[in-house]
Amino acid sequence: MSDETLTTPGVAPPPTETELDARLALQRTWWRDAGPLRWLREVDHKAIGLRVVFTALTFFLLAGILAALMRTQLARPEHGILGPDRYDQVFTVHGTTMMFLFAVPVMMGLGLYFVPLMVGTRNIAYPRLCAYAYFVYLIGSLFLWISLLTNTGPDVGWFAYTPLSGPEYGIGKRPDVWAQTITFTEISMMAFAVSIIVTIFKQRAPGMSLNRMPMFVWTMLVTSFMVLFAMTTIATASIFLASDRLVGTHFFNPAEGGDPLLWQHLFWYFGHPEVYIIFLPGTGMVSLLVTAFARRELFGYTALVLATIATGFLGYGVWVHHMFATGLPQLGESFFTGSSLLITIPNGLQIFCWLATLWSGKLRVRAPLLFVFGFFFILVRGGLTGVMVASVAFDLQVHDTFFIVAHLHDVLIGGAVFPLLGAILFWWPKWTGRLTSERLGRASFWLIFLGENLTFVPMYVLGLRGMPRRQYTYLAASGWGPFNLLASAGAALLALGVLVYLANLVVSTRAGAPAGDDPWDADTLDWATSSPPPAYNFLRIPVVQGRYALWSRTADAPVVTGLALDRREVLVTSTLDATPQLRYELPGPTIWPFLAALGTGVTWIFGVFTPWGIVVGLALTGPALVAWGWPRRRRATEVRA
Amino acid sequence: MSEPRAVIDVSGLPDVAFGSKNAVWWGTLGFMLIEGSTLAICAVTYFYLRRNFDPFPPGATPPPDLPLPTLSLLALLASLAPATLTSRAAKRFDAAGVRRWLAVGLVVMTAAVVLRALEFPALNTRWKSDAYGSIAWFTLGFHLSLLVVNLAESVVIAAIFFLGRAERKHFSDAADDACYWFFVVLVWVPLYVTVYLTPRFL
Repeated sequence: MSDETLTTPGVAPPPTETELDARLALQRTWWRDAGPLRWLREVDHKAIGLRVVFTALTFFLLAGILAALMRTQLARPEHGILGPDRYDQVFTVHGTTMMFLFAVPVMMGLGLYFVPLMVGTRNIAYPRLCAYAYFVYLIGSLFLWISLLTNTGPDVGWFAYTPLSGPEYGIGKRPDVWAQTITFTEISMMAFAVSIIVTIFKQRAPGMSLNRMPMFVWTMLVTSFMVLFAMTTIATASIFLASDRLVGTHFFNPAEGGDPLLWQHLFWYFGHPEVYIIFLPGTGMVSLLVTAFARRELFGYTALVLATIATGFLGYGVWVHHMFATGLPQLGESFFTGSSLLITIPNGLQIFCWLATLWSGKLRVRAPLLFVFGFFFILVRGGLTGVMVASVAFDLQVHDTFFIVAHLHDVLIGGAVFPLLGAILFWWPKWTGRLTSERLGRASFWLIFLGENLTFVPMYVLGLRGMPRRQYTYLAASGWGPFNLLASAGAALLALGVLVYLANLVVSTRAGAPAGDDPWDADTLDWATSSPPPAYNFLRIPVVQGRYALWSRTADAPVVTGLALDRREVLVTSTLDATPQLRYELPGPTIWPFLAALGTGVTWIFGVFTPWGIVVGLALTGPALVAWGWPRRRRATEVRA
Repeated sequence: MSEPRAVIDVSGLPDVAFGSKNAVWWGTLGFMLIEGSTLAICAVTYFYLRRNFDPFPPGATPPPDLPLPTLSLLALLASLAPATLTSRAAKRFDAAGVRRWLAVGLVVMTAAVVLRALEFPALNTRWKSDAYGSIAWFTLGFHLSLLVVNLAESVVIAAIFFLGRAERKHFSDAADDACYWFFVVLVWVPLYVTVYLTPRFL
């Protein structure tokens, strides 16, 4: 990045309009819709992002209730709270909700909210596509949960292995609900991913060359690329499954040349990258929090970026380690043991970079940072047990036992939920303008941390003692009772911690101390605007002078002028160096993405019951898509012949 | 700097661009990645399932016929000529040229889509016959859906131009549409080889 960029295309006199005029004009132009349909027409990235985040958190709580039900059932031998059929639905919907409706959406929602702010632009690229994607996600999620409540909840496990989920054994509509929910929600995640990638590549403020991007933005970039490839695979596989069930194809039917293992390959080619799709944004949050609370630049920024990218690639080369028990050729298994061990190198590197940053910083230990400490402790345990199960011999012993349940929860709760909870406390002042309570924050951390350990450490022991997953009960003679009781007590503690955490958010929104623009003295551009930010994000697009935008900003820091105030114009810059290239007008609020999403909903939901559903749904979606893009104003162009 | 606030004045920058300067072009690229990887999964699945059949194609199923599918491929390739000319006219902001070549392109593209719709019987199998029929039909069908979406998008852009609704940015859209058109056509070449030639020659 050279100074040349900063001064191109020249230092002009200060703008003539007053700051107040500019603010009023921008408010008019980026005016957030009013009226009864406002919620359906909204295209502001902050509104959509928060909507996704809160929808995802709601599903987190709902899936948490299912977890509590399971822990109650398993608390003692031969308990009678849930029967086998209901238990199957409960664990399937718990896993499906946590993975597809909570973990990935919440990360994408935070990306939608913060990426445009952190790169210094006024809105996400493709705001209408994001509006559409939100409604598609919402409809798909509701479909799953309404099905559960009407006793049609999927009961084939979150990975819906064939032939159990196929037409021969998956009786009724339950597996169809699973397949359609997956296709639905993955389509919306792909739309979010494309929007985030284009925003990062083309809408960064001048001066923010790639090597000056905040780590969180880097992790969202790599995650979004992973979403494109991984979600494509699972969406295609679930369409294969749906067509086996609904129109009589034979993709997974061995009697007609199909192959149940094909499902496992396709599922895990998505499923393992999915872990990193959830984990990488968590690492981005850890980098943000560590930087802000150690009050120093990240140790090993370049190493962290390279580790993130390396994880993105290596994440696609390890999927067979989920299939060691299927009798694949030994050479193949050995290769995937090797590749699974390899991925610990970039992940370990990241941990050491953060530790070095903390070690050498001026540490402020606040509640969000406690969650980062919890992340280290639990993620490392999850990672090390992952190294254990990467070994084929060990994996065959603990496959489908509670050891795996404990391992995957340590990875996902430690790697994603802890950073997420820390980051939400960190960002809450930006969203609401209010600080959260430090006391309640610390209390919730200790409850959640102790609860997590008390829940999952006994599960490792249970797994080693042979307790299988996905069984609704066990006999007293098995000797598994005491550890199960301990795990259930841990779950209660965890639930209490989540309640205290939520109470903190609610109370602080009403009565928290005013936060100001930048209560943490943090370094990224989202803290350069008011809390909450105005619809147009920044009065003037900033010019970035260093990797830590606010820490390197000088008193006479330059800004961008010349963007139209009367149109929703954003600045497009070059992909590598963020040199200004183009003024680009983004579309405003409209009802059509919502209507197109309704049409998509009809297509998928009624498609489960009759092929005509697809015809009718597409007939509804098509016109909505045309109206969505149809030019509103009749404006003669000077170039028209 | 002596000024109180230095500024970068961007008012002189263009408001329309083509290719990689254009944000929409990058989005189009993203959707090409999504659709391209879906088709790649189809090809991988095709060869994965093929291992389950000996002989291949299975049983008494004859290999696919070649004349109609080859004609349809040629029609698709022929449609690249009007697509190129549409793109060039758009980059000159030549509305008459865009209208002319879009119209020609729509005719050729429609012909290619109709040929594709008639092409399924040439596979000599059905989706419910066996796994081979399933993946062959799915591959063809998924690509057909991309052709239909692209055709619909081109119809809408043509309508914008013919009804006098075109603004400067629509020239960029027309060029992006042509770019996507290239993708949809060229991605079919390896899939044509997979679906039609490998059962016969590999």
